[in-house]
Amino acid sequence: MDRGFLSAVELRTPAGRTYYLVALALLVLAAVLTLFPFFFAFTSGLKGSTEIFAAGLNLIPADPHWQNYADAWRQFNMPRLFANSFVIVGVGVILRLIVSSAAAFSLSKLKPVGGRIITLGFLTTLMVPFIAYFVPLFKTLNDVPIVHLNLLNSYWGLWLPYCVDAFSIFVLKTFIDRIPSDLIDSARVDGATALQMFRHIILPLSRSILIVVCVLSFVALWKDFLLPYLVLADPLMQPITVRLFYLADDYSVNLQMAASFIALLPPLLIAILLQRYMKVGLTLGGVKG
Amino acid sequence: MTSYLLRRDADEARSKRSGFDMARFRAQLPRQITAYLFLLPALIAFGLFAWYPIVNSVVMSFQDVSLTGASTWVGLHNFELMLKDPATGVIWKNVAEFLFWSLALGFFVPVIIALLVREMRIGKGFFRVVYFLPTVVPAAVAVIIWRFIYDPDAGILNELLRQLGMSRQLWLQDLTLAKPALVAVMTWNAFGTTALIYLASLQDISQELYEAAELDGASPWQRVLHIGLPHLYPIMSLMFLLQIIAVVQVFTEPFLLTFGGPGRETLTPAMHIYNRAFIRVDLGYASAWSVTMIVVLAVFSIIYRVVNSRLSR
Repeated sequence: MDRGFLSAVELRTPAGRTYYLVALALLVLAAVLTLFPFFFAFTSGLKGSTEIFAAGLNLIPADPHWQNYADAWRQFNMPRLFANSFVIVGVGVILRLIVSSAAAFSLSKLKPVGGRIITLGFLTTLMVPFIAYFVPLFKTLNDVPIVHLNLLNSYWGLWLPYCVDAFSIFVLKTFIDRIPSDLIDSARVDGATALQMFRHIILPLSRSILIVVCVLSFVALWKDFLLPYLVLADPLMQPITVRLFYLADDYSVNLQMAASFIALLPPLLIAILLQRYMKVGLTLGGVKG
Repeated sequence: MTSYLLRRDADEARSKRSGFDMARFRAQLPRQITAYLFLLPALIAFGLFAWYPIVNSVVMSFQDVSLTGASTWVGLHNFELMLKDPATGVIWKNVAEFLFWSLALGFFVPVIIALLVREMRIGKGFFRVVYFLPTVVPAAVAVIIWRFIYDPDAGILNELLRQLGMSRQLWLQDLTLAKPALVAVMTWNAFGTTALIYLASLQDISQELYEAAELDGASPWQRVLHIGLPHLYPIMSLMFLLQIIAVVQVFTEPFLLTFGGPGRETLTPAMHIYNRAFIRVDLGYASAWSVTMIVVLAVFSIIYRVVNSRLSR
């Protein structure tokens, strides 16, 4: 029998019922406030250029201009912006997953000498705030030591730094630690190479956690502003989060709102469709500190 | 044979001294090579794009650096400049006020929401998704929408004030309103994550605990106060620290929404570092700020650890 602070019996008393209704009303109010900016962007995007400045609240447009959405899509060149974002984030997530899972597998099952120090080294980067090293990181990307490459204005300048994520390594390692070592040992007796163990045992068994890390990384990288803003000076290469803001000033407010609403659709769809994975990720996040 | 035994004895003696087993190491060498091959991509990535820049940040704070890479040692000069910089005092005052507003507006909201959602018998999933939605919104897009909500002339907020018979406000240009207005955007953008973490934690409490409390005559409010909230305290204290760390670092919202203005009212450390490094191209001075931020946030974390261990004892 599911119960909260109130039992099922108490809920049927007048006091219990009042409490429940007040709680529900507060939650609905909070939900309305939370959703308001989405709703506001959507309806403002439907308004004509005079209606949007008209006096009065006018929450629902009298004469919806669906054409605004088509115009915003075309004038902001949104297919290009989305394509940039998907390339940056997609490749970034895949590379991060490969690098992190390989490292986690090694630290967990291959027992490298000095593994604990390396783990500690990974985890220390979680303590150093990003604002404390984005300036030298920019300098590094301008002239990568040893190889002397300039990664500025190239997607590699984002993909490679995106591979650095101690949180993913930590979460994956914790998960792989729980896979019985007997599986690895018997595979080794059968003559399997480390790469075969990784591909045929570890990765299939870690599928659930890999999806969680993948969804979390996708949302985190999609939201990123500072690094793509610093690395990509060419407007044609910039992701939607960076470009949209700078384009917005050149267009009327109703088109800005329409474009913003379109830009929000992919992350919103992910949040709604994949929310159970993100929920797992949140509880992992709570453990992190 | 003897030489082998001698060598083995020597190896064993050495391993007893140093805790390092030479013979086992030789046998394991191929395995160690594979282990490091799997670690290599991460080591290279962390080395180039995390460890090296972090060390470089500390080094550069004692140098005068140009973007081309030429550098000279200047000792503590950058830190002296930081103390003399008229912006320094303003920025720390801003940080304190941002912390005040973000904790006042945002710290208890997720706790209350989690407690209320826990109590719902139906619709839990709906509320969970709704409160979570803003957390996936990129700050740079949120800013475009909120800029229009706050617009002095056509914005909905001033229209609402007008309908209520109050005078309009210049939300983002007003000296006293700019900070809370920014913090409202940040809170909207972030509270869902924290609320869901609290909710997950509340779901862990055994229902028998409530039943036992009820049998002992504890009122519903006492059950919240003595069972629900105490269960949340450890996570609340962690979220308190994480919120401080996040607010001290804030960049995108003030950078895009107010550009530090009006005056310097919303200038944050991250924006100052950005301005000094990329507009005035004074990387050394910017790094002095970076190092200061590492130290300040480390001090926060240490205070948190000490206070926490005192409290839990």
